[in-house]
Parts: sequence; C-alpha cells; structure tokens
Amino acid sequence: MTEFLQALILGLLIGGVYALLASGLTLIFGVMNVINIAHGAFLILAAFITWSLWRAIGLDPLAAIFALTPVMFAFGWLLYNATIRPIRRAPPAASVLLTFGLALFLEGIMGVIWGNTSHSVRPEYFAQSFEIGELFLPKAQVYGGLVAIVVLASLYLVLTRSWLGRAIRASAVNPQGAELVGVNAVSVAALTFAIGVASAGAGGAIASVLYPFLPGSHYQWIARLLGIIVLGGMGSLPGAVIGALCLGVAELMTVTYIGPEWATGVPYAFVFIVLLLRPQGILGTRLRQDVATA
Amino acid sequence: MHKVFRLLVVVLALALMAAAGCGDDDDGGGGGGGEASGEPIKVGASLPLTGEFSEPGKAARQGYEVWEATVNAKGGLIDGRPVQMVIKDDQSNQNTVVADYNALISRDRVDLLLGTFSSLLNLPASAVAERNRMLYVEPAGGAPELFDRGFKYLFFAQQATADHQGDLWAEWVTNLPENERPKTAAYPTLDDPFARPALEGIEAILSDAGIKTVYRETYTIDNPNLDGIASALKARNPDVVVHGATFEDGVAFVRALRRANFTPDMLYQTSAPSFGDQYSGAIGKQTTEGIFYGVSHTKEATTPGNKAFVAKYREMFGGQEVPEDAADAYAAAQVLEAAVKAVGTIDRNRQIELADWLRENEVDTILGPLRWDDAGRPQGEFLVGQWQSGVPEIILPEAAATSDEIIPEWRPEGAG
Repeated sequence: MTEFLQALILGLLIGGVYALLASGLTLIFGVMNVINIAHGAFLILAAFITWSLWRAIGLDPLAAIFALTPVMFAFGWLLYNATIRPIRRAPPAASVLLTFGLALFLEGIMGVIWGNTSHSVRPEYFAQSFEIGELFLPKAQVYGGLVAIVVLASLYLVLTRSWLGRAIRASAVNPQGAELVGVNAVSVAALTFAIGVASAGAGGAIASVLYPFLPGSHYQWIARLLGIIVLGGMGSLPGAVIGALCLGVAELMTVTYIGPEWATGVPYAFVFIVLLLRPQGILGTRLRQDVATA
Repeated sequence: MHKVFRLLVVVLALALMAAAGCGDDDDGGGGGGGEASGEPIKVGASLPLTGEFSEPGKAARQGYEVWEATVNAKGGLIDGRPVQMVIKDDQSNQNTVVADYNALISRDRVDLLLGTFSSLLNLPASAVAERNRMLYVEPAGGAPELFDRGFKYLFFAQQATADHQGDLWAEWVTNLPENERPKTAAYPTLDDPFARPALEGIEAILSDAGIKTVYRETYTIDNPNLDGIASALKARNPDVVVHGATFEDGVAFVRALRRANFTPDMLYQTSAPSFGDQYSGAIGKQTTEGIFYGVSHTKEATTPGNKAFVAKYREMFGGQEVPEDAADAYAAAQVLEAAVKAVGTIDRNRQIELADWLRENEVDTILGPLRWDDAGRPQGEFLVGQWQSGVPEIILPEAAATSDEIIPEWRPEGAG
C-alpha cells in the first residue's frame, strides 16, 4: 500500500510539473492552430538562463521565474512577429516546419553559448524531501507543482475573467467573427504566443532543478508534451492538466508495477487507447474547429 | 559549335579526374614501398564531433591530435615520414560513420585507420575496416558483442571489455570480512551496450559470493524520471546499489536517490563518475564522497609516457582536466604506432601482419600494458576509482592506486 501511495504521489507531482510545461503549448495551439515544436527548445533555453543566473549571482530557480517570465514573454512576442506572423495564413504544416526549424536553430545557438554538455541547477532543496510517515515528497517537485498551480490558475483567470482572455477565446473560436467585433486578431495571437513562451520560462526554471539538461534535451520533452496535450484535448487548458496528471501517474505506476523499461511505452499505449475511445482527447471539443473557419 | 565545346569540356574534365585518380594510386603505392620520405602518412578516423556523443568525440579528437604532434616531434612514424590525421564528423550517427570510413578508405585513401567513439558507432565502423582488411584499433567500444563476430582486424585499446569492467571492484567486495560484506544488491541499469554488460559481469561475481539480488531492472534513455526507481530501491533497501549509467542518467539517478532519502551502504556507477568536475558539479561535491566507479585512465598514473602525454595535452588544450576519452584515443594510437613500428609497414595489403603482431605481443600504453586474445578482446583489468574529499582517486589495483584509503561506504552528507 505504501508503495502504491508513493507511486501515486510521485506521479501526481510529476504530472503537475508536466502540466506547467505543457500549458503554453496547448494555449498556443488552441488560439493559433500552431503546433509549436519549438516549445521544448524554449523550455531548455529557460533552463539554461536559470542555470546562468544561478551560477553567476546564486539566484534561486524559483526566484528566477520572476525574471524569466517577462524576458521570455518579450522573446516570444518578438519571435512571433519575426517568424510566425508572416505565415499565419499558411496551412498548419507550415508552422510545424517553421517551429521545428526554430527548435534546431535554438539548439545550435545554445550549443555555442553553453556547450553540448549536461547542466543542472542545484539549489539547496534539490536533494531534499518532505516526509509524511514512510512517504517522501521531493521538495523540488512540490515547489514545481505549486508553481504549476499558480501559473495555470492565473492563465485560467486571464482566459475567463479578462477582456484579453475573452479576445483570445473569441479569436480561437472564430477569428473572423472576433475581428468584426473589434478584436485585433494579429495582436491577440502575438500576445498569446508570448504568454505561451513565458509559461515555458516558468516551466524551464523548474525543470532545470529536476532534470539535467543539454541543448538536445528538447526532443525528449516535445514528444512527451505533445502526448499530454493530445491526451487532454488539443487546445484545452484543463484538458492539458488532466492529461499531464494521467501521464505522470501512468509513468510512475508503470515503473513501480511493470518495470522501468516500459515507462516510455505504456503511457503512450494509454494515450492511444483514450484516443481510440475519444478521438478529440479527454476534454477536447470537435465543434470548435468545425465552426472556426467553415 | 556549342556542342563541340561542351564535349571538349567534358573530355577535359574526365582527363583531369583520371589524372587525379592516378595520383592517388601513386600515393597508395608509394606508401607501400616505404621509400618516399617526407610524404605524410595519412591516418583516418571518423568521430562523433556533433550530436549525442559530441563531448567524448571531441575529447577523442584531442587525444589523436596529441599523438599526431608527439609522433611528428619524434621524427615521424616510420621512414621519417610524419603523420597526418584525417578526421571526419559522423554526427553520432551509425549510417554516417559507415559512409565516413568508406570514404576514408576509398576516396581519401588513408594508409591507416583509428577507431571511433562508443560501442554503438564502432559496431558498424569496424565492419567497414574488416571488409577492407584494414587494422582497426578502437579507443572505446567495449560491448562484448563487438568481439563475437570473428573479426581479425579489430582491437579494443582499453584494459577490458564492458562485461569485465567491474571485476576488480566486485572481487574486492566479495573479499571483505564477513561482517562488512553486503548481503543484498540492486542492479538498475540503462539499456546501453556498455552499461548493461558491465552490470551483468558484476552481478555474476557478487551473486556467486552469496550476495542476493533484490532488484534488477532496465530503463531507457528517454525516461527522465528516475524517482520511481529510487522509490522502489528504498522499499527493497539493498546494501549495495550497482548502477549501469552513462553521464546524464547517472547524475539524475544520484539526485533521485537523494530526494528519496535513500542511502545504500555502497554505490557503484559505470561511466558517470569518471567525468570529473562535470560529475561533482552536477550532484554536488560532498554527495560524491565514497562513490565507486570503473575507469581506464588517470592523469596521475605512473605508466610509461603518461606524464609526457598529460603535459602535451595541457600545452595544446590548456586547463587542468585531462578527459579519459582523450587518453583512451591516445592509447589507441599508441597501439597502432607500436604495431606499425614493429612490423615496419603501412602497406594496405599487409595489414593482417599488423593484426597478427598485436595478437602475439603486449603493448605499453599510458593506460598500462595491453594485450589481446584472438578476437581482439583486451585481457587486462579496469582501474577502480572512488571519489574522496571531492577528488576522484584510483584505489585499485594497488600498483596504480593514488590513494591508500578505501572509503567503505557512500557518505553523501560529505567527508564529515
């Protein structure tokens, strides 16, 4: 029983971190129909900046989030206007190619700046855990989960309670209709992309403590994150959270009860089965796409 | 008129190409006779200079370059002819490495070959050399299956194949007094052609001595979450954990053990702890205290030529660290050098003589004396290293030890 509870807790904590990492990806897809393959590279970039700040001035990765999110926001806004904006009317495949190119470009740049060696950030708590009886809750993951809750809750509030949120949702459902009622779809898209990249900033700061990283690590992340948002329903924020928690728990249960060598395969089999039963994902809606540009 | 001109250009181009081809042939023939002096001897290798194995690949290139400089400073390889390394980048890719070695042999017409880095890349690359009947001394690539193919030209220039990497340490454990000897052991390992056999070798020795296996699982490189494994180990509470790792997962695993608050009495890892400052930087210096590992080279070694190698390395590349992979590459080149000098030829048609000589003789290298069986497996023993007070030391064999003490357990809280 202890083993099961421990696996469940670790799975939920990892799932929380996954949710944070995937939130920007699903947001960008939901509003812009852009599958941002560079999202993993943004995470690793944020992780490297966190590492540099930690090395240079001893800045804690959690504190680095406050510095990173505005920087990544500005970076995302510039990147959108420089690269994605010109192809916004092209078919989705163009954005996949473009963002894949961006990921490769960033990987190269990071290799030049930081080298192709493994890096990791080690604040005091990286090796510590909270203990409850026989169970342990790694501090870094708990903090990661808390940051995820804060970031996701803020995103949710912005989306549901603010004018910007309504504009974002309106652009997602029907861009032409949104423009008719005075929403500037292009600047909303730029802001959404920037928010998505900013959330990768927060995610990268947390990931830098949990996992060693090098410029090429983004491949491993983008595969996992795409799995999560497909499972949750592409474009749905709550769906991404549920998908992330499911994947985290599935991974840990597999490691504990089937064997670690199945840890990559079994969760994807789970994704596959869910999609067979519900092709739009757990919380995905099919109508949104049908209405959008019909 | 236009057509005639085009034809003329084509004929001229063909004539030029043919001339160039003949020139290459002459180079090859001249090398065989050993008459021409001053003509460089081309030694070809393809290394993973970019991609997954770029760090060890770059270190290996440095090792080859140190050897090139050293040999040329001594007046060349044979007949006073200098060495010229021809190094390609295989991008850590199995297909590219095959294309590269084919190109080195047929287009660049190199006189001699040296191996690439990792078992994964040496597996196909050595097959190209074998097909072309060229001696292939590899600086890495200790997976046992490399030597099960009946190859005649393949030689591994480290002390032992992967399955024997931990022999010396495992024997030390089994020889501990009864009350200090661990009773149970766990073997988590990465699915890797080097790490896995290393663990199987250690497990065979420990279980023969009655140390019970309580956990044996394999994970894949794309699984970044080792917390589940750490949690399973904590539940089984083994006395000794033997971890088959490469660098990244090795570091992540130690961090996961720390998060799970689980400290086995002993911790042995393959590969990762030999990465020096990079390793201690990633897990924290005090966490390293007492961690065991297998290693092929140390810069403090008193083996013949090691001091000169270390000095030359520092002169050429600066810094205090001398990567193990650079030393392994240098040693591989030393093995090639010894064979060429003893047999006295670089003729591409006579390379079996170089291989036969290596099968019958022992070669002194900076890794110590190396000798091989018929299949090219080295017959020595790996060194055993241990992190002590934030510094990697060699503890076994006694002759090579840089520290008199062996810390009997892992003390992640520091040297206290």
